[in-house]
Amino acid sequence: MKKMRKLFCLLLALCMVFALCACGRSTAGEKKTFIMGIDPEYPPFSYLGDDGSYTGFDVEVCRAVCDSLGWELQIFPVNWEEKLIQLDANECDCVWSGMTILDTMKDAGYVISAPYYDNSQVLVVKADSGLDSSSDLAGKIVAVQLGTSGEALLNDDLADLASTFGSILTCDSFLKCFTELEGGAVDAVFVDLPVAASYVSGKDSLKIINESLGAEQYGIAFRSSDAELCAQVEAAVAKLVADGTYAKIASKSEYAEIVNNLLFLNNG
Amino acid sequence: MSLLTMILKMSEGLGKTCAIFFLTLLFSLPLGMLVALARMSRSRVLSAVTRFFITVLRGTPLMLQLLAVTYGPYYLFGAAVSRNKLIPVVVAFSINYAAYFAEIYRGGIESIPVGQYEAAQVLGYTRFQTFVRIILPQVIKRIMPSITNEVVTLVKDTSMAFTVSYQEMFTIGKQIANSQTSFMPFVVAGVFYYVFNALVDAAMGRIEKRLDYYK
Repeated sequence: MKKMRKLFCLLLALCMVFALCACGRSTAGEKKTFIMGIDPEYPPFSYLGDDGSYTGFDVEVCRAVCDSLGWELQIFPVNWEEKLIQLDANECDCVWSGMTILDTMKDAGYVISAPYYDNSQVLVVKADSGLDSSSDLAGKIVAVQLGTSGEALLNDDLADLASTFGSILTCDSFLKCFTELEGGAVDAVFVDLPVAASYVSGKDSLKIINESLGAEQYGIAFRSSDAELCAQVEAAVAKLVADGTYAKIASKSEYAEIVNNLLFLNNG
Repeated sequence: MSLLTMILKMSEGLGKTCAIFFLTLLFSLPLGMLVALARMSRSRVLSAVTRFFITVLRGTPLMLQLLAVTYGPYYLFGAAVSRNKLIPVVVAFSINYAAYFAEIYRGGIESIPVGQYEAAQVLGYTRFQTFVRIILPQVIKRIMPSITNEVVTLVKDTSMAFTVSYQEMFTIGKQIANSQTSFMPFVVAGVFYYVFNALVDAAMGRIEKRLDYYK
């Protein structure tokens, strides 16, 4: 028994030594690693590509930014509802993934980049439902993804509209929202226009109600202490816009639905 | 939002959390016994099939099973997705927990010495009588701590119902956390779960004590 205890102590001591070693690892001389926080389920901005690696418009732009700054890009899929908590916890250096700029973020001190995308929210319904405007949805069940701007809008700016709905179902991914719609459990899905467009394209059974609700803009969020980092990234993006790399990325066919809403390309 | 409103709002979801908890116990405890008996059946086919199902239910995440029960019928047969999410949630939880309970029951039943069966036979008990009157009372006493373990886990697992958009307490907590950019709802949720489990613990402790005759 005594022997066992000695052995245990020795092991514990060894563990501590190793733990200390890990602390002392030098980072000088290595490439700076830039950790990009993304929602891995938000095509076409950021998603898991066919080849199993993360891709999307935001990911490609960020990769180009890192290339031009000589940084090493690391991608960190965040839990979308807790993205800002994860940012604060240093799990990522930014949240860059079709993220809607909210006043509450600025109030909380986060450094937000200049907006790069203008987005609006729409309602998706079944094509044969006979629903043609938001007012037709009185008493109906509407699904929305938790943590998205759509959910925030229904609680806030669009609360009057939301109060006419029969009920609101909160799902943790937009795919589930659409499955609920197609499976007949809800009557409409309230979602960002580009997501709606990419999901509905090629599906005759669904349609988008032609009514833009709550326009909003996308930006990149940094920690409150990282204003310098934000400026660095903004400058690098501006360089990409100037030398045409940005337009080249945006011209890819998979980004056709969002290209018209990109502010840097359409404002000259 | 004040702490009080937050707690009140989350208590609304607590009823739904309790619904999952009690309904799951109601269905999975007896179902587990059936599964355990099938697993120990003399029929090799029945035993092998049950064994396979138990490995599947224990070997895949509960979250996946929830998704399969809720959305599987739609993707496979185009059946309507249930509007009342409590049904698929309770079905998935009951099946999953029945698999765990079954193995606990089996462990308990197999721990009773064969001599007792032989003695009962000599005294003229039928097999059914032997099981219900002699074996089962001893088994229940022995497995109570393991059952308590599972029941406590079930309380915490109810939070997984969010996967299929069932608006239980933790889901509401997440929604508040999100809209208020506050960590407080998670603290409240933690306290709720702890109190719930303290009550479960006390109740199970009392049952165990009651069963503690002749020792």
